[in-house]
Amino acid sequence: MSRKRLGLLGLALCIALTAALVAGLTASAGRASQETAAQKKNYKMFLIPKLIGVNVFTENGKGAKEAAKELGDTVIYNGPTEAVAAKQVPFINTASQQGADAIIISANDPNAVAPALKRAVARGAKVVSYDGDVARDARTIFVSPPSAQAIGAFQVEWVGSQIGYKGEIAILSATPTAANQNTWIKFMKAALKKPKYRNMKLVKIAYGNDNPTDSAKETQALLQGYPNLKGIISPTTVGVAAAAQVLQQEGKCKSIALTGLGLPNEMRKYIKAGCAKKVGLWNERDFGYLAAYVAHYVLDGTLTGKIGQTFKAGRLGKRTVVVSDGNRPVVVLGDPLVFTKANVDKFNF
Amino acid sequence: MTAENLAAAAFRLREVGVLAALGVAVLFFTVRATNFLTVDNWQDIAKDVAIVVVVGIGETMVILTRNIDLSVASIVGLSAFVTADTLAAHNGAPLVLVALLAMGVGVLLGLVNGLLVTVGRVPAIIATLATLAIYRGLAFQVTNGEAISAFRLPDSFLNIAASKPAGVPTLAWIALGVALVGAAILRWAPWARDFYAIGSNPDAARVAGIHTGRRIVMAFAMCGALSGLGGFMWASRYPTVDAVSATDFELDVITAVVIGGVNVFGGSGSVLGVVLGAVLVATIQNGFTLLHLSEFWKLFFNGFAIVVAVAINALVTHRVQDALRRRRRAQVLAARHIEAEV
Amino acid sequence: MKRVLLMAGRLLARWETLLVIAIIGVGIWSTTLSPFFLLRANLLDLLTPYAFIGLMAFGLAFVVIAGEIDISVASILAVSVVCFSQLYDKGLNVWLALVAGLVVATMLGCINGVLVGIFDLPSLAITLGTLAAYQGLAYVILPGEGVAAFPEGVTKFGGGYVDNELPIALLVLVAFAIALGFVLHATRFGRYLYTIGSNREAARFAGIPVARVRVTVFAISGFMAGVAGIVYLGYFGSARADAAQGSLLDVVTAVVLGGIDIFGGSGSMLGVFLALVLVAELRNGMQLANIAGDTQNIVIGVLLLTAIVVGNVTRAIQARGLPSGLRRKGVIATATVTAGLGTEPEPQELKGR
Repeated sequence: MSRKRLGLLGLALCIALTAALVAGLTASAGRASQETAAQKKNYKMFLIPKLIGVNVFTENGKGAKEAAKELGDTVIYNGPTEAVAAKQVPFINTASQQGADAIIISANDPNAVAPALKRAVARGAKVVSYDGDVARDARTIFVSPPSAQAIGAFQVEWVGSQIGYKGEIAILSATPTAANQNTWIKFMKAALKKPKYRNMKLVKIAYGNDNPTDSAKETQALLQGYPNLKGIISPTTVGVAAAAQVLQQEGKCKSIALTGLGLPNEMRKYIKAGCAKKVGLWNERDFGYLAAYVAHYVLDGTLTGKIGQTFKAGRLGKRTVVVSDGNRPVVVLGDPLVFTKANVDKFNF
Repeated sequence: MTAENLAAAAFRLREVGVLAALGVAVLFFTVRATNFLTVDNWQDIAKDVAIVVVVGIGETMVILTRNIDLSVASIVGLSAFVTADTLAAHNGAPLVLVALLAMGVGVLLGLVNGLLVTVGRVPAIIATLATLAIYRGLAFQVTNGEAISAFRLPDSFLNIAASKPAGVPTLAWIALGVALVGAAILRWAPWARDFYAIGSNPDAARVAGIHTGRRIVMAFAMCGALSGLGGFMWASRYPTVDAVSATDFELDVITAVVIGGVNVFGGSGSVLGVVLGAVLVATIQNGFTLLHLSEFWKLFFNGFAIVVAVAINALVTHRVQDALRRRRRAQVLAARHIEAEV
Repeated sequence: MKRVLLMAGRLLARWETLLVIAIIGVGIWSTTLSPFFLLRANLLDLLTPYAFIGLMAFGLAFVVIAGEIDISVASILAVSVVCFSQLYDKGLNVWLALVAGLVVATMLGCINGVLVGIFDLPSLAITLGTLAAYQGLAYVILPGEGVAAFPEGVTKFGGGYVDNELPIALLVLVAFAIALGFVLHATRFGRYLYTIGSNREAARFAGIPVARVRVTVFAISGFMAGVAGIVYLGYFGSARADAAQGSLLDVVTAVVLGGIDIFGGSGSMLGVFLALVLVAELRNGMQLANIAGDTQNIVIGVLLLTAIVVGNVTRAIQARGLPSGLRRKGVIATATVTAGLGTEPEPQELKGR
């Protein structure tokens, strides 16, 4: 038989085999769905952070697992090693494939993960977003840290107070597509328009992609490209830590004021050395804890995304679903914490 | 002019070319950008150049033998993590020992590459593409997805990247040392001279009695060792090390090496070329930053430079080969003439 | 009877059969990991996330058969995707923008082709350079911020389903596999590729327009990267400059594991398709087992290496029987290592520098 014919025969064989296999399995689809319908109280929830290996998200995971234990659910924490939306998609798919009841996600890009989330919803899962929001029609509720407006305004004030409200400042952000970053930056720009800050000028927004090396390189580029830079705001724990390290390495701690969102454990050394006199954050473990509770109540029907509904989030007390800009249902964590030389030793996360 | 002189002239042409390009770039940026010719700026450039040079010399050794090593970045990342991990756990460990540890890790990984290429007969491009992924995956296993935060590392180590004895960053001094040793090796060590022979004509080298397999493994091992040292230096410069540290760094290295005149076909290249190439690349990238150009132009430039360098290299090689061929034909004809007359 | 057994034996020893066995094996493993694996919906959806990789692999297979390599395919995909999205964003009709993206991809492939085919530069080094250059270009065209929200008409190629179950991406993949398989195995052009891959000089003497074919083959590779981009867009729902970054390993693995000889001159499209199924199944299984992406890469990398080593060993056995011949193979192997870098260089007289 000629090589060509053999090849075609092989191809035909494969297709036939596949078709038979697939046809024979039609029944199993029905069976499986019948099982899931009859359930249940032990919800299976998948927490997908922007990326793993970064302390804030690890803390989220711990908090979520703590909540799950109290509620009798299971939380599986996994995600990509880079803050790339496309890399979150396989995790969403797997979660769906494994029969997830809820997917709790902090997205790197609100739109890129939406199709995958919608596919998961079509197969029976509920979606709750936190930290990095997703497209509104792809999730039920968004869990937010302190209000975006507050986060933006605070950071501008923290840097302004250190530079005498005068001079060039830059923002070292994470990924250009993260919804929370962009919202905070929006409010920062709005805050800068106030007369109090009129002598401060935002010269550049750099993106460190939540990657320590990239963030360090971006900081170095800022120092090189803007010799008159007076202040840096970095609303990402990876960014602020990297920037602090660079400032210390270059000996620029005295001449440039750094602030942003940072973990006390990571920033302690730099806060005490004066490289970042004031940074803020919130309790990341509580954040994950709250998100898991919200997911649970969405699953058992208590929360449907309607404004005004209330629930009790375990040890965090009573919470309400409120509106955020754009008419989106949101649950808010609370006010930010501020870390300085005086109080940083009191915190351990 | 003898054949050797012609070859030497062509070679010197390569480095002079890079030097000239460097001169043009410096002039251009001095005029167009503020702050280009400051001590501060050049100290920064020197730090970047340092790591590229160290790893680049290793990469050169591999390319000389007509192979390539795409996994250097993963080796750098892995050894950077080993460095950071060791120092975070043992703040007082002597830095030299830790550096040797990093190099040891690199040698092992390089050996695997070498064996894949020689014993496994896997083409270097595929072998190192695979090990690039495998070593990166190993880095992930080892880090367990966590990062080592800079604040856990001893100040003495962080100081390597910060200190500038005599105004020259320590990292640059290290690179200088490596460059001198590397140049000496390539010039005088017989096993290193074999790299050139193998790259020029592998069959002839084998017939001439050179153990090509062993030498190629050696080249990959040296590349691994230098990548390991590069990892040690990397961890000092970017001390928050995680599984994705040094991703895509191989591109910076290969650009510097190729621009520096190392022939991708093997057989020719020098440490001086690598140094000049690294300086040229870093200078242009620094210039881009100072001119506030999008950082993505840097990536485009890297690629474009590789293509141009390879094309020029091929052009020069062809010209020289043609010249040599013409000369050989003339010699043969002349010899025949003499025979005929006699 | 004997003839049937002989044919069966030859069928069994074929690379493609080994792949089918492996696919079934991995399938069995996957069912132990998750009861949801054998659902019809899941099985059909197996290839969907990897359809864009398969399309690139099909194009790359052409190049490798012709004795070259093209590692810039992922970057071409990125440029094609960002071009399309920027044009669409600026108001151009979506179908025209789509065509523009394909044209750009083909042109980038042509540039590779001209540099390698006409100027005779080594394909490895050149496509390494264009990998970076094109990627940088993609970032310049669309820095950072992705573009999302494309009309259904476009996204259905990568993310749409017939009857909510049959992925359109799968149909696209199979269609191209058949079409390209036909070109490769049943046209003169395809035969040219095999000839050039086996022995370029002989092909030239045989009157084959070698330069033209080589340029075309890189153009095809570029075009397929563009098609892959469309499917990518549909599946991921957004266009970013770092699209397909990190996919090169899977693309090369699909090609090599598919039985395409890395030195050129042999291989089949069916093999590449089967290899793709195997890679997709393997990754899907590992994902179900909660194995991290970077760890999965270790497995794929090892798979790639194994495929080549096994290929080398079988080739050695086929060529000259067992052990005693292995020593002389050294000469052939070194020459073929050269070929792996792209072109057969002229004998060089420059030594010691």
